[in-house]
Amino acid sequence: MSMVSRKRTLFVALCVLCTVLFAGSAFAEEKIIKIGTLFPLTGPSAVSGQNCLNSVLAAAEVINNANPDLNIPLAEKAGLLDGYKVVIVKADHQGKPDVAKSEAERLYNQEGVFAIIGSYNSSATKPASAVAERAKKLFLCGASSSAALTERDFKYFFRHAPTDAIESKEFTDYIEYLNKEKNAGIKTIGLFYENTEFGKHAADEGKKAAKEIGLEVVADVPFNNAATNLSSEVQTLKAANPDVVFGAALGADYSLWVRTMKQVNWLPKMAVNYCTGYQNPAVQKELAGDGDYFMGGMSFSPELAQKFMPEAIKVQEKYYRPLANQEFDSDSLQEGVMLLILAQAIEKAGGLDTEKVREILATETFVSPLSLSGEVAFEPGGQNVKALSVITQMKDLKYNTIYPTKYQDSEPMYPMAPWDKR
Amino acid sequence: MTKKTTLSDRLWYLFLAAALVLPFIPGGIGNSFHGHVLTMVLLYAAMAQAWNIISGYCGQTSFGHAVFFGIGAYGAAMAVVQFNTLPWYGAPVGAVVAAVTSVLISAPCFKLKGHYFAIATFAIVEIFSRLFMIWDWVGGAIGLDYPILDDGWRNFSWSSDKNGYYLGALALFTLIFGVVRWIESHRMGYYFRAVREGQETAESLGVHSTAVKLSAMALSAGLTALCGAFFAQYNYRVDPPMVMSLDISMKFLLITILGGLGTFWGPLLGAAVLIPLQEYTRAYLSHLGSGVDLIIFGIIIILTMIKQPMGIMGIIRGVTRRTSTVPAKEGDA
Repeated sequence: MSMVSRKRTLFVALCVLCTVLFAGSAFAEEKIIKIGTLFPLTGPSAVSGQNCLNSVLAAAEVINNANPDLNIPLAEKAGLLDGYKVVIVKADHQGKPDVAKSEAERLYNQEGVFAIIGSYNSSATKPASAVAERAKKLFLCGASSSAALTERDFKYFFRHAPTDAIESKEFTDYIEYLNKEKNAGIKTIGLFYENTEFGKHAADEGKKAAKEIGLEVVADVPFNNAATNLSSEVQTLKAANPDVVFGAALGADYSLWVRTMKQVNWLPKMAVNYCTGYQNPAVQKELAGDGDYFMGGMSFSPELAQKFMPEAIKVQEKYYRPLANQEFDSDSLQEGVMLLILAQAIEKAGGLDTEKVREILATETFVSPLSLSGEVAFEPGGQNVKALSVITQMKDLKYNTIYPTKYQDSEPMYPMAPWDKR
Repeated sequence: MTKKTTLSDRLWYLFLAAALVLPFIPGGIGNSFHGHVLTMVLLYAAMAQAWNIISGYCGQTSFGHAVFFGIGAYGAAMAVVQFNTLPWYGAPVGAVVAAVTSVLISAPCFKLKGHYFAIATFAIVEIFSRLFMIWDWVGGAIGLDYPILDDGWRNFSWSSDKNGYYLGALALFTLIFGVVRWIESHRMGYYFRAVREGQETAESLGVHSTAVKLSAMALSAGLTALCGAFFAQYNYRVDPPMVMSLDISMKFLLITILGGLGTFWGPLLGAAVLIPLQEYTRAYLSHLGSGVDLIIFGIIIILTMIKQPMGIMGIIRGVTRRTSTVPAKEGDA
């Protein structure tokens, strides 16, 4: 290559790089609404974070394009207000609270986003949403489940997912139902959870709910997330041998936990999970039959959606699957739902006045065909009072709904089949 | 007799003057992302310089500084969150607790030499991190979250304008670099370097090596804790993985080694390269997915270390040597 052509190539490469890096400045001339997303795109929760991001991108497609085939508010027309398009500005918090805080500041101050959707890990959502509250900007949260998030009396924070407290109550209601209707004889409980904001809160709520129905807590086993070995923790559970275990282990930790239980040849009579790796279809595929008989709280499953949320399946096939190459899961879907709710609030406000949009989010009830309850409404503090989840049980890579009975499509398989009889 | 002003002195005063003026220039700091990056450069340079006292000047490689950083962070956070008072009370308490803890930990560990000392400090981070994880009084695994505070120096909190944080970081930077500058030119600095170059030789000349190492460690830990307190105030939150992990310890090492171990300017140069690289690659390339930012970050560090194992200071000294006929004096670069 001659010197001249080498220089020319270098010049072209620099132009391309500049175009990519500074493409953002061109947005100012268009009718756009910038929405920031803040998820763990790298680090231990990266897979879930990518799914959450893809869900928000799918929701943006629903808003930006005319979708007469979808029975979702605002889907029929293209864009918001008088032709505004939603542009997603992505950021990665790596699962670190300090990074989440500085990225939230960058999104609001540098990128000029109208609102942020995120952040999956409760420990990252907390400082990032505090940035929003201080700056009087909107922060919408799909999946983070720590009850503490909506106990701060924040005015600009709104969360879709049921909290650990709501799920714990549902789990113990189910145990009472099993004891009464199926004579299950569940008397003792163990807690297995990652030692983080999410896991600790879930375990605390689980203990509280268990004590209320008279269950004896015989094992309280935290573990460090992104673990490489859980043998000693599982041996502790095995030694205490609780009738039921409440689990809070995300992604790869969940599959390691299940596999370690198989290694030590032990299972409780029943294992119920908070929003964890249990909900992720990719994790279940990886576990194959080993994930069978485990249970978990869910706001979405393909089986549930066929019956109660048909529009979610349509969005999944039209926009989400091409991006993520898999089905929705509870966590990811809820992040996308929050963008659809925000879009409705902006449309009702008739513009981008943060205070007006906040007021509408805080006071109105929104139609939400992608939510299990079909509606979303926020109480002071930002919790979705219509949040609903059901208990499902995994069998042959299917999430069978077993409780509440209103949604039940299968009989619960209780107790769990031992490892040597599968 | 007046002391001759060296090139290093002139650079030091010039740097401080420029850094002090910056927030008063419109668009200098404000609430910009660049302001955040500059604040972090000053903080991490100060942290690395505090670590440089024991590891660079005194030759005792410590992987345990995350413990002292964490204690400082918890000092400020406990004052605000648990005792409902000002961080100004918590920060010095944290620094004293960190210094005392460092002496208690180091006294037995200093019986070990070289790699064995480093490995012992490695384990200490894990022990403290686990302890804080299960210690409910300090928030356990959930950590401590700050309430919404009024902006200003009283609470050491600013949400809309980062000038206060920048000036706070600059003050911390000046304090720690100033202390090291003083040490370099006084008897204590010679003791530190004597112990680093050969403990037995130093002892044969009457230097009490254990006392020297313990005082270096206490000073280093106390100053590190002040950086931790700043970090807590800046992020409005502490939890063990955030402030007391091996990740934090590795940052002390990486910045100092990249800049130049045992040199005055090394920590600043290391932070000035590493922190913007880390922040800007994450901010502007993370959307490409799959950790492209981290890959680029890693490649640049590997290339720098292959090219010049003595760090950026090594590169500068090499260039100075080639372009000047007069050999550079120690402390000039």
